Amino acid sequence: MLARWIPMALCLPLLVCAPACRRDAKAPPAPAPKQSVRATLAGVQGSVSVKRATGDEWQAAVNGTALYDDDKLRTERGGSAELRFPSGTVVVVSEDTLLGIAETRAAPGRPQTDVTVLRGAVDATLDRPANQSLTVGTPAATVRAGREIVFQ
Amino acid sequence: MSHVLAAALALLTSAATTPVAGETVVRPGESLAQLAARTLGSEGAGAELLAFNHLQATPAAGTRVLVPGPERARAVAAIGSARSAVVQAPAGSARTEAEARLAEAESLLARARYAEAAAQADGAWKLLAEAREERSHFAVAVEPDGRTRVAVREGVPVRVEAQGRARAVRAGETLTVIRGEPPGTPQLESATSAPSAEPPILISPEPGLKLALEPAPGGLGPVRFAWKPVPEATGYVLELAGPRSQSIRTAQPVVTVPGLPAGRYRWTVRAVQPDGTLGPAATRAVQLVPGRIKLEVKETPWQ
Repeated sequence: MLARWIPMALCLPLLVCAPACRRDAKAPPAPAPKQSVRATLAGVQGSVSVKRATGDEWQAAVNGTALYDDDKLRTERGGSAELRFPSGTVVVVSEDTLLGIAETRAAPGRPQTDVTVLRGAVDATLDRPANQSLTVGTPAATVRAGREIVFQ
Repeated sequence: MSHVLAAALALLTSAATTPVAGETVVRPGESLAQLAARTLGSEGAGAELLAFNHLQATPAAGTRVLVPGPERARAVAAIGSARSAVVQAPAGSARTEAEARLAEAESLLARARYAEAAAQADGAWKLLAEAREERSHFAVAVEPDGRTRVAVREGVPVRVEAQGRARAVRAGETLTVIRGEPPGTPQLESATSAPSAEPPILISPEPGLKLALEPAPGGLGPVRFAWKPVPEATGYVLELAGPRSQSIRTAQPVVTVPGLPAGRYRWTVRAVQPDGTLGPAATRAVQLVPGRIKLEVKETPWQ
């Protein structure tokens, strides 16, 4: 009985790992499972790429790409994109910009942000600031817009 | 054996007197106002500290006192935002009601009822934001040297926090925050951008160029950075960010660096304006790699 189960137990990790280990350079960036979408990309122009929190590779981003906690977004010179948040907030990402999405490992003493701009520039619009909020972090400061505290 | 006992005793003594996070010990001769200033950052918060600890009078020296945590910070932040919004709001019924809610929030804070204080302050803020029915539009830029520039185009103010201090930036204002420093004073955007609002036009190296250079003192070189002159500029600042970051001031619209380590660089140029402030930046990227520049000239059918 034990002899039957041992080979099966050894094969199980391979079966689980195989799809995850397969590399396909042409595939769109794989979404992180079991996470809520923080923002969706729109208006992608020029060179815009995404690096997943769980990955090491930058991959070309397209309109509709969903972004999750700790993902990174990068625009090159001449590139731009829009981040559309579920609340309706729109953040336009300028060229030559590198930013992080909802970083869960905020620096000590720094609050968690919706967007962390590491370099470059963003332009944000909240159509209903009474019901929306956006927190933008940078290496020097934290910018809060809209409703200060959103009570669930 | 006696050493072990002494060490254990010292450990016990230390554990009994060292306050843990969220606690403090009243110092000899420390007044309530001094204690409040030390723990809450305000001499006037003594009553709040007593309420939080369910005390009736100033605790004696050596007494352990609990210090409120993030729930107080949230309430203070909400009250700060509501206070900014009330100051900005035009006179009217919404402002009157918001002022009443803000006063109640401050009263609840003084009684250490932080969640209720935050809710009241948030209600005051929301009341005024809904009354204004304005969208919020602002821009955030991170300069190559780490400085953050916040510009509010329209709508309700945004709040900029750094190093434990906060500033409200209103529509038409900009604020620059230097890394590691608290936010400065917001400026009217027209004042910060005058007199030359245009960034320098960069000439060389070309954008995104991979520059093959020969070994030179300090790395590879020489590297020539050039841009078009900016009217009324009294000089320029060239900032290099990369394997060797540096800032160079120059009077001419060109700088030749003898040698730089190989790697990717972002180079940024700002004009020094007549009032001494720096104008808007223009930035490009360049990659320096070792090797000779090869010019390959091929035959072409075109005459």
